[in-house]
Amino acid sequence: MKIRRSVLWLLAGLFVAASAVVCLPGASYSRQDREAILAAASVRHPAGTDALGRDRLARVAVAFLLGLAGAAVAAALTTAAAAGVGTLAAFGRPSMGWTMMLVCDVFLALPWMFLLMMVRSALPLTTTPARSAMITFLVLAALGWPASARAVYRGATHLKSSEWMLYARAGGLNGFSIVRHVIPNLLPLLVPQFLISVPAFVMAEANLGALGLGVGEPLPSWGGMLFELNNSPMLMQTRWVYFPVVLLVLVLLLLEGVAAET
Amino acid sequence: MKAVRAGVRWMARTISIVLLVILGSTLLVRFAPGYLSDAREMDSRYAVVARSELSAERARSHSIPQMVLSEIRSSLHGDFGTSRQFDVPVLELIRPRLAVSGGLLLRGIGLAWLVALCAALISSAGRNPSLFWQTPATLLLAIPTAALATFCLLANSGGPVLVMALLLAARDFKFLNHALRRAWLEPHVLQARAQGVGPIRLLLGHLMPALAPQFEALASLSIVTALSALVPVEVIFNVPGIGELAWNAALNRDLPVLLAVMMLMAVTVTCSGMAVPRPADWESA
Repeated sequence: MKIRRSVLWLLAGLFVAASAVVCLPGASYSRQDREAILAAASVRHPAGTDALGRDRLARVAVAFLLGLAGAAVAAALTTAAAAGVGTLAAFGRPSMGWTMMLVCDVFLALPWMFLLMMVRSALPLTTTPARSAMITFLVLAALGWPASARAVYRGATHLKSSEWMLYARAGGLNGFSIVRHVIPNLLPLLVPQFLISVPAFVMAEANLGALGLGVGEPLPSWGGMLFELNNSPMLMQTRWVYFPVVLLVLVLLLLEGVAAET
Repeated sequence: MKAVRAGVRWMARTISIVLLVILGSTLLVRFAPGYLSDAREMDSRYAVVARSELSAERARSHSIPQMVLSEIRSSLHGDFGTSRQFDVPVLELIRPRLAVSGGLLLRGIGLAWLVALCAALISSAGRNPSLFWQTPATLLLAIPTAALATFCLLANSGGPVLVMALLLAARDFKFLNHALRRAWLEPHVLQARAQGVGPIRLLLGHLMPALAPQFEALASLSIVTALSALVPVEVIFNVPGIGELAWNAALNRDLPVLLAVMMLMAVTVTCSGMAVPRPADWESA
């Protein structure tokens, strides 16, 4: 519990620092400083600049906030979908449950990366960066629910056969009233599903972006920063290109720490 | 008789999953807003040709049932249709790459299991969870596949097999360590240890057989994880395998190739899950 609290404080600290960097007067993730291409750390650019002369600290701060917010929203959507599907499959008609679990099996039969890549690549070539970010996280949410739905289904079937549920059903409780009582009892299962999904989505976005299928430029993202590493001559000039990767690993460690302590 | 019935049920489920994968993938890609667009449209030299090809594709893909039927027919025919990008039968593209990816997967998974099992056996034998083994595993789990592959490539140390093995070993170690640690603390194992039964004998005679179902499930999960890691690893190391082909097909909206790869993945994952016993209450679903 103590570790979890420290991890949460660290995450909150990073969030406040990133927000402060974004709100600083003059800070911009897209403004180019043509006289400081691939510059090392300085007072003007505390983490240096990228190949286009853009401030790396501002870009990392926006990537952090975007990644966290996008992954949290996607995880919330996934968890809500999993709760709905899992509960319906467990409490609905057997044929409905069978069909829903078959759909889950279809999704789970495809490795996530292939599925993500296929869906993300089939989107328009000319989207705005903000829309591409929204699409990326929506795709993650749309494809991430089956594993959680399986877990929720298992929890809901246990609840269905519990004594209090048998009493409640014998007493005439049905339909929506059952769901109203089941969902709060599934919270101990849904909260970890949400917390596990957040780092998974941050990592998935980073992997997609590294393949050139993530958030569009000039909007910064973890994946876009990883994509920069493909430019080997640039790496020879400044070691600061590794800064976003180090921070990404730290953020993922913290997020996984929160999930593990639940 | 019961085994035959279970086999028939499994076969029916696998076939329906593969058919649903074909149907779902076709619909997903066909109705994606970017399906009828091509990067060449932005280049004035190729724009006219690209637009005429796209209008032909639009006419061909107008009827969805026909499109799905033609994909199923070409799959049954054996050549999986013709690649939109390379204009050759998809099977010709897949066959040589299958061996490359298969070899990479086998070596990666084999090495990962060896490392994870050895580390878990040593780590679980101690009284308390060892930070010496836990820390690198936790750190590796927090590094995206693409970042690890890029670092190995830049450092000129370690190839695709090592990256794949490290990623899988970290994940497998967590499960194996947990399962073994719990197994060592089982009352009958503690009793046997107190009576002087050697650790090797205990491990081979009691722990491993008891943990076999969990190991099978983990092996199945390793295959799925390795398949997901295949794309970034092959793309970054420029390995001419299935992952790289799928990435190329995805960038160029090559539906026949994508569908063939998806089918292959669905069959591989479903077959790998065959060995894993499903919980009884899942069977009814």
